[in-house]
Amino acid sequence: MHKNRLFSVLVPLISVLLAFLVGCIIMAALKANPITALKALWKGAFGSTRNLGTTLARSTPLIFTSLCACFAYRCGVFNLGGEGQFLMGSIACCYVATQSGITGLPGILLCLLAGGIAGGFWAAIPGLLKIYRGQNEMIISIMLNYVATLFMGVVYTNWLREGSVPQTMAVPNETKLTRLFGLRCTSAFVIAVVIGLLIYYFLFNTSMGFQLRAVGLNMTASEFNGFAVKRFILFSFIISGVIAGIGGSAELLGTQFRLINGFGAGYGFDGVAMALIAQLHPLAAILVAIFFAALRVGSTTMQAATGVPTSVSEIIQALVIVFTVAGLALVKLPEFKAFLERLFPARKEA
Amino acid sequence: MDMNFVTNLILASVRMATPLIFVSLAELYSQRAGLTNIGLEGLATIGSLVGFMVSLLTDSPILGVLAGMMAGIIVNMVFAYATISLCAEQIVYGMAINIFAPALAAFIYRVYFGSGSSLVQVRLMNTLASTMGITPSNFFARLLLDQTFMVYFAYALVIFTAIYFNKTKSGLNFKAVGEHPKAAATLGINVIRTKYIASIICGALAGMGGAYLTTCYTTTYVDGNIAGRGFIALAAVIFGRWSAGGVLLACLFFGFCDALQIRLQVASFGLPYQFFQMIPYVATVVVLALIGMKKAGPKSCGKPYRKEER
Repeated sequence: MHKNRLFSVLVPLISVLLAFLVGCIIMAALKANPITALKALWKGAFGSTRNLGTTLARSTPLIFTSLCACFAYRCGVFNLGGEGQFLMGSIACCYVATQSGITGLPGILLCLLAGGIAGGFWAAIPGLLKIYRGQNEMIISIMLNYVATLFMGVVYTNWLREGSVPQTMAVPNETKLTRLFGLRCTSAFVIAVVIGLLIYYFLFNTSMGFQLRAVGLNMTASEFNGFAVKRFILFSFIISGVIAGIGGSAELLGTQFRLINGFGAGYGFDGVAMALIAQLHPLAAILVAIFFAALRVGSTTMQAATGVPTSVSEIIQALVIVFTVAGLALVKLPEFKAFLERLFPARKEA
Repeated sequence: MDMNFVTNLILASVRMATPLIFVSLAELYSQRAGLTNIGLEGLATIGSLVGFMVSLLTDSPILGVLAGMMAGIIVNMVFAYATISLCAEQIVYGMAINIFAPALAAFIYRVYFGSGSSLVQVRLMNTLASTMGITPSNFFARLLLDQTFMVYFAYALVIFTAIYFNKTKSGLNFKAVGEHPKAAATLGINVIRTKYIASIICGALAGMGGAYLTTCYTTTYVDGNIAGRGFIALAAVIFGRWSAGGVLLACLFFGFCDALQIRLQVASFGLPYQFFQMIPYVATVVVLALIGMKKAGPKSCGKPYRKEER
């Protein structure tokens, strides 16, 4: 058990190092000095409080979508529809913020509530089809991502369009989330972290959370033990959608202020990637999200300093997930365990 | 509704179904060997980019398709090694491929073409009719002759697959690996090798399906040009009940939805065009919801196979 826990930390760390190594080779191949580039990356992400604020702001939506992926997968269902739920949440939020006329704190709360409900509703579709029609929740949730993206297109090109540019009107100033210490990071980050803590508490300190994890680990055994497996599946789907929906609202009220082409694009799959690297641990997911955000923010500085394109950071992120998942499978292989025992025979006896 | 609309719709359906046929057959081969590969979207993306670049450099769409195939195989070997040899979870690793391959494709495109470059265009593959130097006039001639080589190849592949899985010993062995690998192993079938071969076929066909889009369908490459076709292909395999003929019909149906969507956009009915663009995705959800899970696929799908395990 102790060894397993060590590996679950060690494997992602080694994967990060390997990914950076490959990243450095790519940078060198592009005739840039990897050391300078990495220094610029670090400086861009954490070099000043202002940059740190930007990094945390960028991490906020990622935290929401990775928590969304974590929660559903803890119950054994793969919610790949985080992006659609995120977008539906932001659309509902956009309507409430711009059309209801309610502003200030009640407005913000109402916006977040509307976003959560819309996200939960969007996630309920694959959840219901899963439990009543036994259908593949992954394909359906992905299809709904495309539908949500197109629906958002309708909203910003038609229904809530403002002026000649295809974008919606901005949310009123009184409904925007407050910035923390004057940085780009807003109270949305605090909401994200609080939700992460709540999920952690729910999963590991309540009996319902225990049952939910049991369903995720072994559905058949849980069913024999009289757990309402189907209800748990639907519940986990809806809650994960609610998390994504609140994330969409928070992103709209905190950072973007209007819906526009590309809003939230890719956050759903990023969330799945981060959840997998974090091995479905909600608090680890927050850290991984900050790491991903740092790569993204820092890569802009890196591009300015060394000319290495920002998409190198995407390659590094993708490699981290490829290595981590393979590494986690590797350490579970009996051959690897036997190899370790040969390597450290004394430690095992002690 | 005039005749022209209908004939154009049917012709477009055949064109739109072709990439889906390749990608769905890729998944069919993979699942028949017990590997659920949801990384098709990623494989098709990299196939699409490599196919585009090679046909741009060599001015030969055929070479582009072959290069796309190779790219698909190479990326899918990562999946194959992780899931077959390391016994990583197939769904999880497929997802990793879906994140990795598009990132790689986007990176290669940025590095090669620069970020702010104008649209680069390639020459598309000639249709059979234009190679023969004729211009078909009536509908049937257009349907049968005014198609690229890839379309004929796709249909030939469907027929081959149907015969292979049902009539040949090798095909039945292949299926046995997907249904019950341990029983297959006791019959002297090399399970691991079959799974790797399946992965090679899967990578090749998925890469080809992606390359079709940039060598036969549109003249440019843009990020996200696969637009969910990898996942629609997964649905087509389920809808087609894991048989080559069924998959073909499912692909034609989804191809029809895609063609209908484009035609309706052109016709416009005062509705925002995005509603028409939703048609293929909504159709997929509706179809999956209607058919339910009456018969599941190959039984060992998703489960790792370990030789030493009893």
